[in-house]
Amino acid sequence: MERRELLKLITLVTGGALIGGELFLSGCKNEPEMGGAAFNDQDIAFLDEAGETIMPKTKTPGAKEAKIGAFMQVMVNDCYTKEDQKIFHEGIGKLDKATKDKYKVSFMEATPEQRKELFTALDKEAREYAGKKSEFDREQSAKANEAKQKGETYEKKTMDPHYFTMLKQLTLLGFFTSKTGATETLRHVAVPARFDGNFPYKKGDRAFFE
Amino acid sequence: MADKNYYDAIVIGSGISGGWAAKELTEKGLSVIMLERGRNIEHVKDYVNAQKDLWEFPHRGQRTQQMIQDYPVLKRDYPLNETVLDMWVKDKECPYTETKPFSWFRGYHVGGRSLTWGRQSYRLNPADFEANAKEGIGTDWPIRYEDLAPWYSHAEKFAGIQGNRDGLSVLPDGEYLPAMDMNVVEIDVAKRIKDHYKGSRQMIMGRSANITQPKPEQNRLNCQYRDRCWRGCPYGAYFSTQSATLPAAMATKKLTLRPFSIVTKILYDKDKKRATGVEVLDAETNQTVVYTSKIVFVNASAFNSTWVLMNSATDIWPDGLGSSSGQLGHNVMDHHFRLGASGRAEGYDDKYVYGRRPSGIYIPRFRNWDGDKRDYVRGFGYQGSASRSKWSRDVAEFSVGAELKDALSEPGGWSVGITAFGEMLPYHENRISLNKDKKDKWGLPVLNMDVEIKENEKKMRVDMMADAKEMLEAAGLKDVNTFDGGYEVGMGIHEMGTARMGRDPKSSVLNGHNQVWDAPNVFMTDGAAMASASCVNPSLTYMAMTARAADYAVSELKKMNL
Repeated sequence: MERRELLKLITLVTGGALIGGELFLSGCKNEPEMGGAAFNDQDIAFLDEAGETIMPKTKTPGAKEAKIGAFMQVMVNDCYTKEDQKIFHEGIGKLDKATKDKYKVSFMEATPEQRKELFTALDKEAREYAGKKSEFDREQSAKANEAKQKGETYEKKTMDPHYFTMLKQLTLLGFFTSKTGATETLRHVAVPARFDGNFPYKKGDRAFFE
Repeated sequence: MADKNYYDAIVIGSGISGGWAAKELTEKGLSVIMLERGRNIEHVKDYVNAQKDLWEFPHRGQRTQQMIQDYPVLKRDYPLNETVLDMWVKDKECPYTETKPFSWFRGYHVGGRSLTWGRQSYRLNPADFEANAKEGIGTDWPIRYEDLAPWYSHAEKFAGIQGNRDGLSVLPDGEYLPAMDMNVVEIDVAKRIKDHYKGSRQMIMGRSANITQPKPEQNRLNCQYRDRCWRGCPYGAYFSTQSATLPAAMATKKLTLRPFSIVTKILYDKDKKRATGVEVLDAETNQTVVYTSKIVFVNASAFNSTWVLMNSATDIWPDGLGSSSGQLGHNVMDHHFRLGASGRAEGYDDKYVYGRRPSGIYIPRFRNWDGDKRDYVRGFGYQGSASRSKWSRDVAEFSVGAELKDALSEPGGWSVGITAFGEMLPYHENRISLNKDKKDKWGLPVLNMDVEIKENEKKMRVDMMADAKEMLEAAGLKDVNTFDGGYEVGMGIHEMGTARMGRDPKSSVLNGHNQVWDAPNVFMTDGAAMASASCVNPSLTYMAMTARAADYAVSELKKMNL
């Protein structure tokens, strides 16, 4: 990444910064908390299926083949705060419950069509929630700035992220930065050796990974 | 002279300016020891992440909670990143204190920040050297553009700078390798800006220290367009100590490189008013070693160079060597930035970019220039680029599934983004000082930072954002949005000014040849020497200044003046 890219903070799909990837200006209180709750084999299998629903196998491999469940485990345990980890783990339960409420089966038993329908609804819900959250965050920042101008301090409050936002962010990040995602769904040239700023493109051509 | 710890010259630090000092001095026949506080990083061999693809990193380049805990400073901005963690100092081993927020991003290893620098390479212009005197700010530079011009050429030719000779008075042309290309959108935006502002504002190809032709004499291959410079380039395609100055110095067989060598003080003979050498703390063994020399080049990066002086000759000057002027540690400058604008470029759906160009476009300063007059002094420039968005973009039409995957497998629309970099004035009260109450891993006192931007910079920032929006809109871009990511001093990673050059020993630390007034055989040629900051990236100026000072030092040695 270049300095000129510096402010293109990663906004993965849901309009918010990548959870766990935030920058911390020196005034921000941030006490990292390490150590994650355990994922068991069922969790990984569940996350593989959830990821596959978001990025399914088409003419190229999907998220499951990119080992998305194992990737999510690493990211949640290492990159999320304890609070965010809790939201994520509870999200697995919420997802299963939502499936049962709607289709009378567990998520693992649901058909790909049912899963997709459910996720489409959850995506809408998560987007609406993210809109409220970013509005709230803006207000809090304004209050903090106002306090700073007056020489006071204001402890910013925050809204928790939506668990579906986490799931979708991690799936997209994990899938497109996997070898299959980068080289089969996208295309990757490790050593381009030249630069062409007027390179032809036609609809359907794959994007370059980097 | 039989002393095994004697060298003709000691160079403290191995980054951009230290590397240049070692090269110039050894090529002129001096025996040199270059002391580096951190570990060695061998060219190519130790660029451990240079050939890795993102999927080979466990967190795909992202930061972990452990990293956030271990790097309380780096976490404030982009440097904290899984792919280049080995290229930055371990914050916790080397703390500092902040009266006001200051972000200090350091590279404590051979090559220093020459390995991670942004590589933008511009000359200061003649007015930059005159502005302090004309406006009554800080102190007058003791040199003018003409003094440095031949040394800029010398530095550019050796380092290898790609760029165009654009013929702009605000940004003097240099000796360039063929420029990298703008992409189709950048070409059109540049033309529209030029037309709209009738040539008073220009968007040019950024000039950078990436070579576009091989330099076989330096064993360097031309840029392969991977855009992974800061992991270390296996082709030596960008200028760094490792790729360029260190091998040149080594080739003379006159250079000794000693890593893990923390210089704690310059040894000073008060009768002769000369430095006699340096005291080194071995970072691994904690042993103290003394090296002696005829001359000392202090190139430890602005703040650490200043720290060395503050710790030296304290029996004569309690605040250290070079403190007699009362300016040592004062006048801290950086470049303030992290704001600008971006907008959507419509059309160009049949155009894309092949290869990853490691430099963008540049819009040189136009404020307070050529008749323009603002309610602040000095100016700013912009860096940016046009590109098509990638898989990380939002696709509102599709939530999940094959449709989303198909959509994200194609590039998104074009956008243009520019970020402003502004000049910060030298304010006496902006200072660093020794904090003896806090110690680093080696028990050495740390620096305290007391620096802020003031009214001039704040007024400038209003323009920096508004002008970005106006120009992008004038260039026909849609949905132009401004951004301000928040700036804390230091984030520009361009620390400058703490041992400024000047014409009078009463008001400056260094003279016009970068000699410490109180110890003429001590030269400082890194950012500490800067009397003003300009708004352009400073490293090329350090290279030129170092080569000039080295030339002078050697001629003075020959005349037995040092």
